[in-house]
Order: sequence, then structure tokens, then C-alpha cells
Amino acid sequence: MRREVTVVCRCNDVTREDILKAIEMGIDDFELLRKYLRLGFGPCQGRSCVMIAARIFARAKGKSVEEVLSNYRVRPPIVPVPAKYFARGLKP
Amino acid sequence: MRVLVVGAGISGLFVARELALRGVKDVTVVDSGYPGGGATLRNLGCFRSSFTSPEHVVLIKESIREWLRLRDEMGLSLEQRGYLWVARKPETLEGFRKLTEFHHQFGVPTRLVDADEVRLLEPRLNARVVVGAMFDPTAGRMPIIENFVKLYLEVKRLGVRVVPYTRVTRLVPRGSRVTAAETSRGPVEADAFVVAAGGDSRDILATVGVDVPITDVPRHPYVTEPYAETLRPALIIDWDTPGSPHVSQNEHGSFVLARDLEDAPRVSIYSHRADAIPHILKPLRELLPLLSGVNVLRYWMGYYDMTPDHHPIYGPVEPYENLYVAAGFSGHGMMMGPVTGKLIASWILDGRPHIDVARNLTLERFKTGRLVKELAVIG
Repeated sequence: MRREVTVVCRCNDVTREDILKAIEMGIDDFELLRKYLRLGFGPCQGRSCVMIAARIFARAKGKSVEEVLSNYRVRPPIVPVPAKYFARGLKP
Repeated sequence: MRVLVVGAGISGLFVARELALRGVKDVTVVDSGYPGGGATLRNLGCFRSSFTSPEHVVLIKESIREWLRLRDEMGLSLEQRGYLWVARKPETLEGFRKLTEFHHQFGVPTRLVDADEVRLLEPRLNARVVVGAMFDPTAGRMPIIENFVKLYLEVKRLGVRVVPYTRVTRLVPRGSRVTAAETSRGPVEADAFVVAAGGDSRDILATVGVDVPITDVPRHPYVTEPYAETLRPALIIDWDTPGSPHVSQNEHGSFVLARDLEDAPRVSIYSHRADAIPHILKPLRELLPLLSGVNVLRYWMGYYDMTPDHHPIYGPVEPYENLYVAAGFSGHGMMMGPVTGKLIASWILDGRPHIDVARNLTLERFKTGRLVKELAVIG
């Protein structure tokens, strides 16, 4: 069993400790860190993890959350959509 | 010697790495955004040397050799699971056969495979539409983010200064030399300048009167949720459908789908195209029926920085003595990264590229009209 870990991203099982370790490794940009740890890459699209991760990163680097998130973009679709619904949209 | 590299993508960082390894003490890389934020972290991470010009084949074959060496040296990840170009029409196979002959001249072991062997290479392909294929066993794919982050950290360890969120607004010439770059955070002086900024290279070099024929062409990839079912080849290409729709599966199990669609160049990076999904998916799910049941997870956009002959622009920028370019990769910048680093570093430090054929790819070719010729074009 894992002891004393705080799960930040439930889609990809990323913890607060993973984030701090990545910062320690030298990843000094939030977008790079987010992509490296795949925060926001799961089906929740970052709704549960990105704000928390941004706050951890901002605190560690002495930056504002707003600055840390300035390059974050939400990608469509907002929720996973079965591919067949898209294929239907094509005119014959 | 002080070198300023403009662009902290895969090309800029490999140039910086090579310069640092060769003893250049003062290397700075600036980027208008975050490292890798352009085409580098937006592409599919697929690589092959089975191209249709000697320039591409020779340089990318060497680049793949270098990637494999770096896999051991820097702990990178990549897999050579092959590219499979699938033919729906029997006449396409003759084109594939000619192409394999061309590749064999350069030691690239592509081969023509019949419908039975296609079933062995990927049993889930729809046997009713597939008549045969061309297979390149040396092609593959890599987890781009992981490899790029490792490169970024190594470059910083080597003492290179990487300065993000710093836009170059103008290069400052004096006579036959560039003396400084004006940036959003003030001027940076250097002894040599390398512009490796994708499509932005055009605007940066225009400030010193140099015309760089690069067009930003939007691309629209989609990624699905992860699935346990695993595709055997690194990339499957539906060759007989316009825009050659293609599908890859990343190391997490997600399928990545894309197709070359007609699009307006230089549209906003936020111009999403919802219609891209059906256009990409319709031919691919006919080819690979398992794609009918997948969930689309995410869509993003990126640019191919296209040149008129779809080959990169490398080397010195005349009439300046200390200005170099590495841009216009036309969708191949990631796979060419390591060779790009060595070429530009050898141009700067030795006065000539370490691989001779790269001389055919200088900016000069657009003035003389000696564009790269594709020797084996199929279809």
C-alpha cells in the first residue's frame, strides 16, 4: 500500500509527490510539467486535476496560479464522445 | 563564442545540445512561448526514412541511427514497429514496388507485402478492402513528450540557457553580419544566430530582408480513449484515399487519427474543425473496423511549416556570415531533430555540413530554382 500520497489526477494516477519530483528534476514550466505527467490527458480533461496541480506548481515556484495557467487550453470535445456520432455527421 | 538559437523546439534544442557538446560555452535559446510548445509537442512522433528523395532518405536514415544511439545514451524511448502503407487498388502495388527499389538503393529495407502477409502484420485490417501494402520495418514511433523533456533537461544540464516567453521582434544587421536580436525582453547580442522557429522563422528573417518560403498549414489530429487492443505497426496509412488518412497507437493505448485535409493556411491556432473528425474517421474505420467502437477523447491543432518542395531549409542565410536557419520541416522536424543539430553545429563550427547532401537544402535553392526532386513519386 502507498503511504502518505495525495492523488491529484485520478485519470492517470498522478500524485502531489510526482509533481514535486518532476519540479525537482528541473521541469520549470507548467505546460511542460502538465504534459509530462499527462495531467488533463484523461477522460476528465483536467477538470479535477489541473487547478490543484497548478496551485502546487505555483507554490513551489513562487508564481501566481494565473501566470502558471496562462498557456493552458481546454481541448474539445469536453467529454469523450463515441466516434460513431461524428461519422454520422458526414453528408453522404 | 556566443550563439543565440531562436526557437526552443526539437530543432533548436538539438542544435544547442550539439554546440554545447562541441565546446561552445555560451549558448542561449529563446522561445516566444514554452519549450516545445509549437509543432514539437503537437506531432504524432512517428518516424521513417522511406521517403522519395535522396536528401530525405540519407538524412533521416542517419537521424534514426542517431535516435537509436540516444535511446541508450539519454534513456529515450522509441520503437521500430514499422509503417504499413495499405493499398486498396491493385495498380497501387506497382508504384509501391518501384518505391521499394528506390529505397533499396539507400539500404532502406522496405518491402511489398501481399494481402496474406498484411493479415499477419495486422490481423484487424479489413481484408475486403486491402489488396496489399508496403512495409517499412525500420520506421516507428516515440513518446514525444517524454523524449523532449529528457532532451530539455539534458540541454540545461550542459549549461545552455533556455529563455521561454521571449519573442524575437527583429534581427539587427551591421554590414554582412547580424549583431543582435531584439526581443520582447530587450536585445541579445551574439556571434552567431540560428533561426529554428518553424513558421515564425519567415517573419524573423523578413526583418533582415530575407524571403523564406514557408507556409503554415494546419493539421487536425484526434486521440481516442486508451484501449487494450494493440495495433502491431507503428503507423497504418490508407494510401489510396485522398489526404492519406493514418492511424497510430500511442504507448498508453490511445489511437491517434489524422488526415491531410484541404485547409486555409495560417488560420488561427484556435480555429477548431469539428468536420475533421468524420473526414478522418470514415475511411479509417472502413479499413480498421475496431475504430467504430472507440470514444474520441481530445482534438488539437498544429502546423506543418511547409516549403515549396516539402523539404527543410538548412544552413547559412546569405548575404550574412553568421546567420543560419533550420526550419520548414514540412512535417518531419521531430524525426530529423538529431541530424538537424549536427548539421547546423558543423555548419557553424566547421564551415560545412557533416553530411554533404544537406548542401542541396540551403535557402539558395529557391533563388536558383534547384528545388529538391522527388525521384520516386507514387500514384
